[in-house]
Amino acid sequence: MLEIKNLNASINNKEILKGLNISIKPGELHAIMGPNGSGKSTLANVLSGKEGYKISGELNFLGKNLNEIPIDERAQKGIFLAFQYPTEIPGVNTSNFLRTSLNKVRKAQGKKEIDALSFIKLVKEKTNELGMDEKMLSRQLNVGFSGGEKKKNEILQMKILDPNLIILDETDSGLDIDALKIVADGVNSSRDSKKSFLVITHYQRLLNFIKPDFVHVLANGKIVKSGTKELAMQLEKTGYKGIN
Amino acid sequence: MLNFKIDTNKIDKIGKFTKEEKDFRIKNLNYFNDIGFPNKRNEDWKFSDLKEIVSKNFNKLNLKFEKSEKPKIDFIKDFEHNYIVIINGELVSSDFKYEEKNKIELQTFINDDYSDKNEKNPMINLNHALSDKGYFLEVKENYKFKKILVIYYLFTGDLDENILNSKNKIKIGKNSELHCLEFVVNDSKRNFFNNVYEDIILDDSAILKNICLQNSKSLGYFHKYSKNKLSSQSNLTSFIFPTGLKFYKLDLEINLEGERSECNLQSASFLNNNEHQEVKTRVNHLFPNCKSYQKVKNVLTADSKGVYQGKIFVKDVAQKTDAYQLSKAILLSDGSEFDSKPELEIYADDVKCSHGSTSGSLDKDSVYYLMTRGLSKKESTKLLVNGFLNEVADSIKSESIKNFIKIKLDNQLLDEYKKH
Repeated sequence: MLEIKNLNASINNKEILKGLNISIKPGELHAIMGPNGSGKSTLANVLSGKEGYKISGELNFLGKNLNEIPIDERAQKGIFLAFQYPTEIPGVNTSNFLRTSLNKVRKAQGKKEIDALSFIKLVKEKTNELGMDEKMLSRQLNVGFSGGEKKKNEILQMKILDPNLIILDETDSGLDIDALKIVADGVNSSRDSKKSFLVITHYQRLLNFIKPDFVHVLANGKIVKSGTKELAMQLEKTGYKGIN
Repeated sequence: MLNFKIDTNKIDKIGKFTKEEKDFRIKNLNYFNDIGFPNKRNEDWKFSDLKEIVSKNFNKLNLKFEKSEKPKIDFIKDFEHNYIVIINGELVSSDFKYEEKNKIELQTFINDDYSDKNEKNPMINLNHALSDKGYFLEVKENYKFKKILVIYYLFTGDLDENILNSKNKIKIGKNSELHCLEFVVNDSKRNFFNNVYEDIILDDSAILKNICLQNSKSLGYFHKYSKNKLSSQSNLTSFIFPTGLKFYKLDLEINLEGERSECNLQSASFLNNNEHQEVKTRVNHLFPNCKSYQKVKNVLTADSKGVYQGKIFVKDVAQKTDAYQLSKAILLSDGSEFDSKPELEIYADDVKCSHGSTSGSLDKDSVYYLMTRGLSKKESTKLLVNGFLNEVADSIKSESIKNFIKIKLDNQLLDEYKKH
């Protein structure tokens, strides 16, 4: 699914990622943990295609070199980034936005545009699953949403767009335990043999709810240790300093 | 450079006038001829050098004496409404089928106020000198319109480097209410200049809600001076959507002349290649406990230019004034320009006055966010621009009118984006 080899990324002449390697197969869920400033969010940004980074190394997604593909086409090909801080967008209706987004993705995949009725049905089903109030969709995108509502809205988009590779950037930050469970359930119920997940998190807490197949420790722009979920438990005890 | 001077004998061609009126017109014409179209040396025109704009875009500028053929009117079918039809500034027909006729008076406007004040505003002088058309609408006391009034302003296809001068007056009687949509439809394929002087009078507790919408792209150069008198507890709400005009300057004077009177002005415009628009306001708080609210939003692309000059004046007796003004602009291109000049002049000590002005490029994080959801840069931009401008239309209360306006505005933006 995703093959990253010797990835270097810098912004404003500051090196953030320094030779990162990771390989994710279909159906796998990988967690990346690391202290503040280790490059976790940069990795998420680089995978989504955010501009402003100078990049070298290999970035292969489904056999294609991602470096040459712009942000929107990556999304159309099935990469989804759930933001740590979803942007508030005044004046843009959440439901209209979601439908536009879904139709863009469907069109790119050679599917027919979804009609209004089927869309409403789909949204109803998914909001119910996430215990979300449907009324939220008639509001402006993320405007005035609570932290929990914003994160749920990200998971809702993930469910509706049905991507192949899902990157969750600190989705657990700012969530209370109930919201965290709902978000985790949303992720768990989406797991199948075709989808891959890259879960970026600062704390081990999230991994009590979302069971990773692999855990990697990112420090100073590199993966310094990889293992299974026991590694996360160990980190919880020793802290990041205990690694190396 | 076009030297636009008008011979005083042209006034005789407009009509037969009393000596008093003729003197008034000649005096004003002389004022205008002395100065000509205002240029940037005039503080009020600092950001909109009309002399240059007219010189650049017009070879000549003729008065129009001959009648135009009446164009076919596409009446709005989306909601029931009364209407007035104005062709090239001239009152042509009306229908108040939903209203009590004896509560409404509509006539061709005749200016009978020659007191004016040695006014030295060249565009007003020009209007005073040459205006030959217009209407006077009066709503009598204690009458609330049952349906909205649509004023169709049609401009005919034979306009070609003409200048039109008209005067309109609307008076809303005590406790009366009128909702109005000014719907501007333009058939002209050539440049023309439309210079309007408007007088609006709201008696005690009167309400006027007005929306002004350009139906389509136009080669019109529009200047409107609007003078508004608000008596005690009256309320003026105005929504302005001038997208599509080559030049637009709204010069708004609002006099809050009675306690607890309120005004709310909001405008939203998308400016494209070579377009120039200005909203200039002067809100005079002359009595206590009045409120004023202004919000001006612009999106600018190519080499367009937008201007907002907003002044709030608070007289010493106008305690408990609540005045607010906000200007927001998004510049989509390096060649576009937005100038904002907020001014507060306050002589009372117990007031709440605030103003804000922002201009900048489109928020990069928002574009990024939308693109990660599969929308192209262009689609993301369009969605954000739409959202930014739609906020104004969203505060229109009537659902049917709001939807009508929003569909029109969406189509205008679609047209703009097709070109890019």
